[in-house]
Amino acid sequence: MTPQVLDVREMSISYGSRVPALLAVSGVSFSVESGQCLGVVGESGSGKSTTGLAIQGLLTRDPSVSATGSLTIAGTELNPVIERGWEGIRGRTVTTVFQDPMSSLDPTMTIGRMLTFIAGTKAESLRWLEEVEIRDPAAVFRSYPHQLSGGMRQRVMIALALARRPALLIADEPTTALDVSVQAQILKLLRREQEALGCGIVFVTHDLGVAKAMCDDVVVMRNGSIVERGSSARVFGTPESEYARRLMESRLTMATDRHRPVGLPEATVVNAMVESLNEGRAETATTTVDAVTAEWNARSLLWSDFAPADVGEVSVPPGASPGAAPIAALEFTDVTKSYPTGGGISRRKTVLSGVSLCVEKRESVALVGESGSGKSTILRIAAGLESASGGSVHRSDVDADAVQVIFQDAGASLTPWLTVGQILTERVRNSKRGGRTSARDAAELVGLAMDRVSLDRALLASKPGQLSGGQRQRVAIARAIVIPPTILLCDEPTSALDVSIASTVLNLLNLLRHALGISVLFVTHDLAAARVISDRILVISDGQIIESVPSENVSSTVSSDYARRLLDAVLA
Amino acid sequence: MVRFIVRRFVSLVVVLFSLSVLVFVLQRVGNADPVRAYLGPNASQAAIAATRIRFGLDKPLIVQYFDYLGGLFHGDLGMSYSTRRPVAVELADKVPATLELAAWVLFFAVILAVVLAGIYTLKGPVSGVIRFVFFSFASAPSFLLATLMLLFFFKQLHWFPAVGRITDTSGGGPTGFYVLDGLLTGNLAYSLDAIQHLVLPALAASLGLGVALARVLADGLSSGMASNYARTARSLAETERSILFRHSLRNASSPALSMLGVLSGAMLSSLVVVEQIFSWNGLGQYLSTAIASADFPAVAGVSLVLGAVYVILTAIVDVVLALVDPRVKLT
Repeated sequence: MTPQVLDVREMSISYGSRVPALLAVSGVSFSVESGQCLGVVGESGSGKSTTGLAIQGLLTRDPSVSATGSLTIAGTELNPVIERGWEGIRGRTVTTVFQDPMSSLDPTMTIGRMLTFIAGTKAESLRWLEEVEIRDPAAVFRSYPHQLSGGMRQRVMIALALARRPALLIADEPTTALDVSVQAQILKLLRREQEALGCGIVFVTHDLGVAKAMCDDVVVMRNGSIVERGSSARVFGTPESEYARRLMESRLTMATDRHRPVGLPEATVVNAMVESLNEGRAETATTTVDAVTAEWNARSLLWSDFAPADVGEVSVPPGASPGAAPIAALEFTDVTKSYPTGGGISRRKTVLSGVSLCVEKRESVALVGESGSGKSTILRIAAGLESASGGSVHRSDVDADAVQVIFQDAGASLTPWLTVGQILTERVRNSKRGGRTSARDAAELVGLAMDRVSLDRALLASKPGQLSGGQRQRVAIARAIVIPPTILLCDEPTSALDVSIASTVLNLLNLLRHALGISVLFVTHDLAAARVISDRILVISDGQIIESVPSENVSSTVSSDYARRLLDAVLA
Repeated sequence: MVRFIVRRFVSLVVVLFSLSVLVFVLQRVGNADPVRAYLGPNASQAAIAATRIRFGLDKPLIVQYFDYLGGLFHGDLGMSYSTRRPVAVELADKVPATLELAAWVLFFAVILAVVLAGIYTLKGPVSGVIRFVFFSFASAPSFLLATLMLLFFFKQLHWFPAVGRITDTSGGGPTGFYVLDGLLTGNLAYSLDAIQHLVLPALAASLGLGVALARVLADGLSSGMASNYARTARSLAETERSILFRHSLRNASSPALSMLGVLSGAMLSSLVVVEQIFSWNGLGQYLSTAIASADFPAVAGVSLVLGAVYVILTAIVDVVLALVDPRVKLT
């Protein structure tokens, strides 16, 4: 029998001195053996991160945390909130690979200095850099973290964590901040190193695909408790609990049906659907909540059911001449972009080299590529936030209201000291199309936008800081559609969200674009999400669009090696 | 890095030029006639006219400026009205006196800042006391501190001398920096005596500066201790003290250094007062006499020197900033 490296029994952890205590983790039990990889899977607030911090002794400095239950690491009994006993365990028997390798590495220290502190000698450090498959160890040894790519930084993080040959490795969302293709390499590396060192791994993640690819066994957490456990093949194949089933349904793969809403029905989204279905229909033909839920469950509900009743009203805003020839909502012709690099006058870095693309009216186009491919630059040029160095950009509607952007970090794009109501009203007031509306009409528009994104109107009085991540992203969407634009530009709006929330946001965007007749340009590194939200996928690499494929059958139509690689990186 | 330093040096020269223009214009816009001020109220018309030509004051203003600038390059700061000696000669032993004091003030302030901020961040038993210090001493004026120190360390305890730079004025050396001179000439007693004289004025001027720096540094240190890289260090079994000194300090020093650059201007002006209290024969004392006697060339000379010191200090701070933080763009 292989030795047990971690044993957690009935562990509960609470923050703050409130009575009754608020349990972040309640009565959790699991164990890990040498050579085993256990996935701790859950969404934000499930307690998985607290569990991860507790088993590496990183909760001992906060006096407001208290814990019960038992924790044994490699035969040593420890208390997760008391420092005594952790010396010699933390950082030696148990080490960690954290989520964000940029902020997790000291920016003022070279990789060599960090690694030598752990590994002892320069030779040993270089050996470890080689071990984690860094191509030029000597150069990386001399580099600072900001000079490396995200994937390289995470490899350095892994080298730091492994250099003391721990018995237990905690991987805390180690691939969440990385591109999909880099993610696949990092997971492979972790697997290989685990076999070489024989350590146990606790893999904390919200990403079911990653957990499925990486872990032997998983525990699924929700609200601080374990709701399901078992081998990952079993849990992901035939989930027993309702919650695990819901999580699996929300997950996007290349096999997800893209004509229907993703995941299981959520009451608020169903309500919005009912409303948009009923909009502009005769009283007699109205649909009910029960009917939509039933249809959704039966999987017969199609996005095409939401085709807008009166498209003309929305897509031709006042001011645009109705007789003009139909042109695309957005058209790039041979657009280039380069930045001066600071190394002399003539040296420039080319970001886009001759990009031509076209988004038709009411079409949704996804732009897929890795970091540095130039996809975000295209979005910023389309939004008018940056200007192209060469080529031309045409939009069917040139007024400022015709374009709206939804960014990845919704929290940062909402002014923290304004209420949701003020944020939305400001948008109406500052727009040409809605600027002359009376206060009452503006309030009506804002209320309608809240309904459309399935947010309770009571939240109008809240400030962004009081909302959850998913709610904030909905507010950002509401701000973008309160005056419906001709084209909506989305910059990875779901990649910072939990799976179930991401799927509802995708459902929402799909619903809104069908119901309001909006064109969408959706920038992402995730092919599976791109497939669901778009009609057509453009693959971009090194500032050039290398392929355009219909979303309907991506897997069978992509031809370039690069796109194949992206496709292979989507975890089944 | 060399490029960065060269560029920083070029912009330093530009600032110094602008300073010379400013000082020149201020001298000319004043209502006082420099010739009358130089010759006194009873001078004859002929003497006035002759002196006017001798000083070049009959030429156009722009020519006068270039004369002035040319003089600066040769170390000519003009003649003092009150002593009739070249200002440059008068400043020759005042500049090292003030610079020596300023160096010690900066040294004390930085040590004080690191110690206070370090103890405060490690949350030791005395961090409450330090919080009190943060609030009280940041607002304490240096002249008050100087007076209190004199009463306590000189009058009560007789630990340190009260006035002057040195007890035995017969010694000395090539630089005018007494501590350095003592070391250069092998006269250790001389250096020690100079240090004894430096302690009280340097402390008086550095307390406020040090506490202000400490507050900025403590802010940076606590966010450093809560950062992800500190968490990584903890997960790799580093002690809190090691995290503080190996990681947080360097990361937190950027804002503190910028602060130091800005505050060094305030430090120079507080030296003017402190020098008076300790009868420190430096620029500050010289300046207060010069202002009282409307000695424009003297005031202008001191302004130029102090301005140059300030500009050079800020340039040094910028270079140190770039050395400390590898992410600083060297442009």
